[in-house]
Amino acid sequence: MSKTIPTRLTQSILEFCRFARTNGLSTGVKETIDSLDAVQTIGIASRETLKFAFRAILCSSKEEWELFDDLFEAFWKKTEFGPHLTHKQSKPETSAPESKTAMMLRGQPDGARPGEDGGQAVWGASAHERLRKTDFSQIQQNDLPALEEISLRLLKQMSLRLSRRLKTMKSRTQVDLRRTIRRNISRGGDPIELHYKEKKLQQSHLVILLDISGSMNPYSLFLVRFAYALQKHFKRVDTFLFSTQLAEITGALKTQRLSNALQALSLQAAGWSGGTKIGESLRDLGLLRGKRLLTRNTLLIVLSDGWDTGEPEILATELAIIKRRVRKLIWLNPLLGMEDYQPITRGMSAALPHIDVFAPAHNLESLLQLEKHLKYI
Amino acid sequence: MPISPQLPKSKETPNTDVIVSGFEQLGYIIDQALAVTIYLAMKLGKPVLLEGHTGLGKTEVAKVLARFLSARLIRLQCYEGLDVNSAVYEWNYQKQLLAIKIQEGTNKTVEEKEKHIFGRDFLLERPLLQSISAEDASPILLVDEVDRADEAFDAFLLELLSDFQISIPEMGTIKARHIPYVVLTSNRSRELSDALKRRCLYHWIDYPSFEKEMKIVRTKLPGIEEQLSAQLVHFVEAVRQLKLTKPPGVAETLDWAQALMALGQDRLDVDVVEATLGCLSKSVEDTSTIKTEGVEKILENFVIG
Repeated sequence: MSKTIPTRLTQSILEFCRFARTNGLSTGVKETIDSLDAVQTIGIASRETLKFAFRAILCSSKEEWELFDDLFEAFWKKTEFGPHLTHKQSKPETSAPESKTAMMLRGQPDGARPGEDGGQAVWGASAHERLRKTDFSQIQQNDLPALEEISLRLLKQMSLRLSRRLKTMKSRTQVDLRRTIRRNISRGGDPIELHYKEKKLQQSHLVILLDISGSMNPYSLFLVRFAYALQKHFKRVDTFLFSTQLAEITGALKTQRLSNALQALSLQAAGWSGGTKIGESLRDLGLLRGKRLLTRNTLLIVLSDGWDTGEPEILATELAIIKRRVRKLIWLNPLLGMEDYQPITRGMSAALPHIDVFAPAHNLESLLQLEKHLKYI
Repeated sequence: MPISPQLPKSKETPNTDVIVSGFEQLGYIIDQALAVTIYLAMKLGKPVLLEGHTGLGKTEVAKVLARFLSARLIRLQCYEGLDVNSAVYEWNYQKQLLAIKIQEGTNKTVEEKEKHIFGRDFLLERPLLQSISAEDASPILLVDEVDRADEAFDAFLLELLSDFQISIPEMGTIKARHIPYVVLTSNRSRELSDALKRRCLYHWIDYPSFEKEMKIVRTKLPGIEEQLSAQLVHFVEAVRQLKLTKPPGVAETLDWAQALMALGQDRLDVDVVEATLGCLSKSVEDTSTIKTEGVEKILENFVIG
């Protein structure tokens, strides 16, 4: 049932694939070739069938699926464009873009070889990707629910992944039957030498301190979601807010509904005055709850930009003390997300020598990067 | 039960209309879009990834496809921690130990003994290996709820779907004689690896339209009263608009319809709905959400009298 496609149609199909990619679908060389194959087998009699075929080939998620109809109509009918589409669409040109696509198909170094997985998610700036990379302080009101949903989902998945590498310690270990037999064939099968399944170690305790003074507020609110999602993985997650004083919010995060917890926190935070005393807050932490909280199994995360109105000496001292007690000290600074940032403020430079991991936390992407630091404790 | 006699064996692919009517005859209402996806999958030799919420008939598609093509269905149910032993193969250890014991008295060398106990007789074939070992015709491989397995499994699956061969260290490489038709289902509890998603043809299965759901109910439960079926489908649609943690799928609609029929109902009323809410709502929170909204209020919209 194979038909040869007229060349004009082939060109249009290539254009359409390119159009899809510009508008957020992760369409690569492979998908383009599949589209051409599909048209050969289905034929061009039914517009609807073609649309279904392209949709199955070019989409790979629900979000892309829902965008697709508009994309298809927009391209093949050339009517006005829906709200999802960018303004910089590629109009069907007949010169340069065409040869570029032809080049790609022939396998010129454009990052892909034919038949191989050519498309990269980074080519399409889909909403999903964009939201992951948007700085928390820049999020638009109407993007907020989408970002919420995405972050909760991704953070939960991260938590789940971390749980799988979970290390539990039991006094008895299990015999690995497979390996035992393999190694004992020469002994006539009698399991003389036993091999055990490896059992692993204890999981740990997470303590998070969030700076909620002025500029830090939007970042801290997002990190609360981070803390909330990680509760599944860590044996204990204790979360504190601080600016001039320290406040524990661990209990609030244990509720079923994250939205309630966040509401309560916003109200609480609003009542605090300006200025941050990081050192003092850390000292309070050590005094109040240090014994239970700051132990060998603890992973301490501090989110702050380091603008300290207290004495930097105090900050340095307290951090040194804490550093000796806990397993790992992670300092998250949203300013690290900015290109030219140098940690030269008194607070930050005092803190640096004591920090194990110094990382940004300005968007969802950077939060997800933390996974590697949480993995091996 | 079998479809039109002109359906050939696995060599030729039936066109989309034949697929639609064939599936309907087997009791599965399929829309044109999904038929196109299935057709393309067979023609282009690509696996199909069906994503969607629970209870919408994703697994059913594979089962019906197997019946439609008169092919064997091999099912791999994925779960967290699924590993090679459960998915691909495992050695029959007890049998091997026994064989070693039996061979003890003989004069065979260690190498010969080893070769013997690592033969095909001692191999327990799990679904993935079964799918490429078919002797006579291409089977349907259903990898159900692949989102419950992990990324390592995604990578393994991807490799399998590219080469359709499996390497067993003690035995060598086994290549597929008949490439299986592969259907993956996912409830989207995790984002599948990009490479795997793009290897497949994708299809998002959404909640059905009113007409489609009615048709499904009438097909599966031929004896049902028209008024009842219309009302209950309206009700389920309304319930799906509420913010439930587990919105009811088509499977729940059918359960409910059966329950109502068993109770001898020919229409809905507040009492019977409240009594049978358990068919639709699968948690305490959901039930209370529905009740807070008000069963009566929902019914008012489409029940007269």
